[in-house]
Amino acid sequence: MNRATIAAEIDNTAYDPARPTELVLGGETFTSVTDKICGIVEKPRPPRAWYIAITVTGGLTAVLLAAVFHLITTGIGIWGVNSTVGWGWAIVNFVFWVGIGHAGTLISAILFLLRQKWRTSINRFAEAMTIFAVICAGLFPAIHVGRIWLAYWLFPLPNYQGMWPNFRSPLLWDVFAVGTYATVSVLFWYTGMVPDLAALRDRATTRWRQIVYGVFAIGWRGSHRHWHRFEKAYLILAGLATPLVLSVHSVVSFDFAVSNLPGWHTTIFPPYFVAGAVFSGFAMVGTLLVPARQWFGLKNFVTLHHLDNMNKIVLATGSMVGFAYATEFFIAWYSGNPNETFAFVNRAFGPYAWAYWIMVTCNVVSPQLFWFKRIRRSLPAMWIIYIFVNIGMWFERFVITVTSLSRDFLPSSWAYYRPTIFDVLTFAGSVGLFLTLVLLFVRYLPMVAMAEVKTVMPAASVHGGPAHPVGDYHGDIPHGAAPALGQEVRP
Amino acid sequence: MNEQTTATLGAARIDLGDLGPRLFRGGLVVGFAALAAAVALGWRDGDQLRHFSFSWLVSFAFFLSISLGALVFLPIQYVTRSSWSVVVRRLAEVIAMALPFLAILALPVLLNLGRVYDWASPQPRLLTPDLAAHKAPFLDPTFFVVRWVFYFAVWTWLALFYWRTSRRQDRTRDAALTRRLVNRSGAAILIFALTCSLAGMDLLMTLDPAWFSTIFGVYYWAGGFVAFSAVLTLITVGLQRSGRLVGIVTAEHFHDYGKLMFAFTFFWAYLAFSQYMLYWYSNIPEETAWYLVRQQSGWQRLGLLLVVGAFLLPFAGLISRFAKRSRPLLVFWAVWIIVLQWFNLYWVAMPVFSPDHVPLGPVDLSCFLAVGGFWIASVSRLAAADRLVPVGDPRLQDSLSFENA
Repeated sequence: MNRATIAAEIDNTAYDPARPTELVLGGETFTSVTDKICGIVEKPRPPRAWYIAITVTGGLTAVLLAAVFHLITTGIGIWGVNSTVGWGWAIVNFVFWVGIGHAGTLISAILFLLRQKWRTSINRFAEAMTIFAVICAGLFPAIHVGRIWLAYWLFPLPNYQGMWPNFRSPLLWDVFAVGTYATVSVLFWYTGMVPDLAALRDRATTRWRQIVYGVFAIGWRGSHRHWHRFEKAYLILAGLATPLVLSVHSVVSFDFAVSNLPGWHTTIFPPYFVAGAVFSGFAMVGTLLVPARQWFGLKNFVTLHHLDNMNKIVLATGSMVGFAYATEFFIAWYSGNPNETFAFVNRAFGPYAWAYWIMVTCNVVSPQLFWFKRIRRSLPAMWIIYIFVNIGMWFERFVITVTSLSRDFLPSSWAYYRPTIFDVLTFAGSVGLFLTLVLLFVRYLPMVAMAEVKTVMPAASVHGGPAHPVGDYHGDIPHGAAPALGQEVRP
Repeated sequence: MNEQTTATLGAARIDLGDLGPRLFRGGLVVGFAALAAAVALGWRDGDQLRHFSFSWLVSFAFFLSISLGALVFLPIQYVTRSSWSVVVRRLAEVIAMALPFLAILALPVLLNLGRVYDWASPQPRLLTPDLAAHKAPFLDPTFFVVRWVFYFAVWTWLALFYWRTSRRQDRTRDAALTRRLVNRSGAAILIFALTCSLAGMDLLMTLDPAWFSTIFGVYYWAGGFVAFSAVLTLITVGLQRSGRLVGIVTAEHFHDYGKLMFAFTFFWAYLAFSQYMLYWYSNIPEETAWYLVRQQSGWQRLGLLLVVGAFLLPFAGLISRFAKRSRPLLVFWAVWIIVLQWFNLYWVAMPVFSPDHVPLGPVDLSCFLAVGGFWIASVSRLAAADRLVPVGDPRLQDSLSFENA
């Protein structure tokens, strides 16, 4: 993005309590929203950059497949894990990806229940990203089991050997928690997309598109009855998904926190992991959305106001994470438990101090820059901070997993963990898989929830009068009537 | 003063009027009478007022948590630019403004720390000498009191900021004040989070100085926020019964009260579960000792009561839309939650005083009534100072016509 396009941003972040913030800019109408969003998908050919991008990410995905193939045929020994650090990058990557998969459902479920109307422009994108991140996450524990052809033993399937999984193991709880989360997230994403898929079906000009979008639109005709059921289903799914946002990463935190290992076993872990997950999820949404809105012409929908709000959430959750780090440190000292104190001093000043300080710089320090309005509204600045947060949150999981394991109670078994090239390739490959799925999504599915965005446009408001597009700039609309005192007010 | 002299909005009455002095006097009478009763009953126990002191601590911590709930409710409403809550925001401002008066109610605890805090007593029995030496820099009586002076100074400063700015806006109708409050509220939440969680640990976690839990501060806050939501509901209904705020606070607002109670009941239970489950599972004696005391000698019954009464029943009772919009049901659950959240703090604090039996008795009721009476007196005095609705807020109309769409 060049300087000119940045200067062309419309700043709709100023807060005027007397009138609602414009969530869709540029004088968009219902028709133009449909035209623009569907237009991206309906282009006969995507831009050349898309082909280049998917070639690169597809190549990385091929690397992932090759690395996994080598892993399955050779064994876990190709990774850097050793008998002291039995959990290495695979678990780090698992937690990293699951965490990223939190923003989507938070935006679609919790922000929906909290009536945050700005969510409508970004929820589809974030939900898609959620599902792709969960796919990447699920891969790692599955290939870590060693004999992957027996991975189905994780499910409580009745079998002739009469064997059952260990229900006391949090790793099994993960299977259920992540499985439930993935299922509900897909359902939520798909349910919300049905009206938009129907719009694509109705506009389709080729037989192929009519059939595919037609099948997935499951007979949506936009009747009142359909809308009524749609809204009801959406609300119920939002209600069901809300506790799931908390539960998944809480259960992931149990993987660590139920153990007796210093640095893992602490009661703040569940809410702290959830805050960290939302933090990393929003950073990843931002990482992808800032360029996407530029390339696909979504600036009227994903406005600076939306990004400003997202940055505030990054700031809030980043501060929660910093608060949790501080609390852990304080209690490690306060407890008077020498092992606990050692674990934390070792993190900050031991052999992995470099990783620890990368984590602190990226997670605690960098989001604090969002206190400044100018930085919250500067596209290059926010994008750099998102990248920092992505890095920092990966390192957080690395620090938690590796530092506690590498030096536990028995100094004679202390060991330093080094990843091998296969650790690196597998992780890079998972990034490739994630981005490939994102590229396919932006090519074939509506990136913005059209039906939902329309509900927050002024034309949809009974008080807004006839379709009255909101202008490009401030000051073109007279301020709404000031609250009248002494006047008859009957809601 | 504002040109508007009649304190009405539409046809509704929005001042406390004669109710203010009556509540103030009533609160003081109940407060002093109950205080006298509590001291007398405590004296009769012949335990150098230890039961009284512990019980006072429980009720003080309880009403403190309610006012702290209000103190964070305000900045959250501003940072999220919420308009639904404008019509009830003054009530939260007033509840938060009780904080400086709660500082006075903290005196019975702060003036004789050794009576409740083992680490401040001449012969600590809950800590080994090693641990006592290790924790001495933090668990130091002087430092403890300094911390509490600091907490109350910060909280009073924050509460005053919201109350004063909002009242100034009543007169000036200046939208810039709302923007200013919005801009400052992010920092206010941060300051609140740091002070409130440390205060929660100070007040209740250090009662058992050997025990520790990183989530404890948040746990204290979450319980207080549930209780605050319930108290806000009760105050609103009470004012409507007396003919105030009628038609201003509607079923739509009550619906949101219900959602707050429901959501934070769940959140509180989530934290309680996290703490219990992780300690139970790991089974490390220094951590389970705290729960061990609370799982025997009758305390386990109170613990189960909390699981069922403070979580499962209100969860089931408040889940439906119907319940959240029905004032009688909301009042029932609000009273229920307030009682159960008080029991929660009782269950947290009291086993330190009486590990071998649940000493629930008239002293506890008297202390509750005493702190509650003084708290109501201060809140009603503050509420009488101005209108009950922030009439100058530019979003007032939005709030009045708010719908749960």
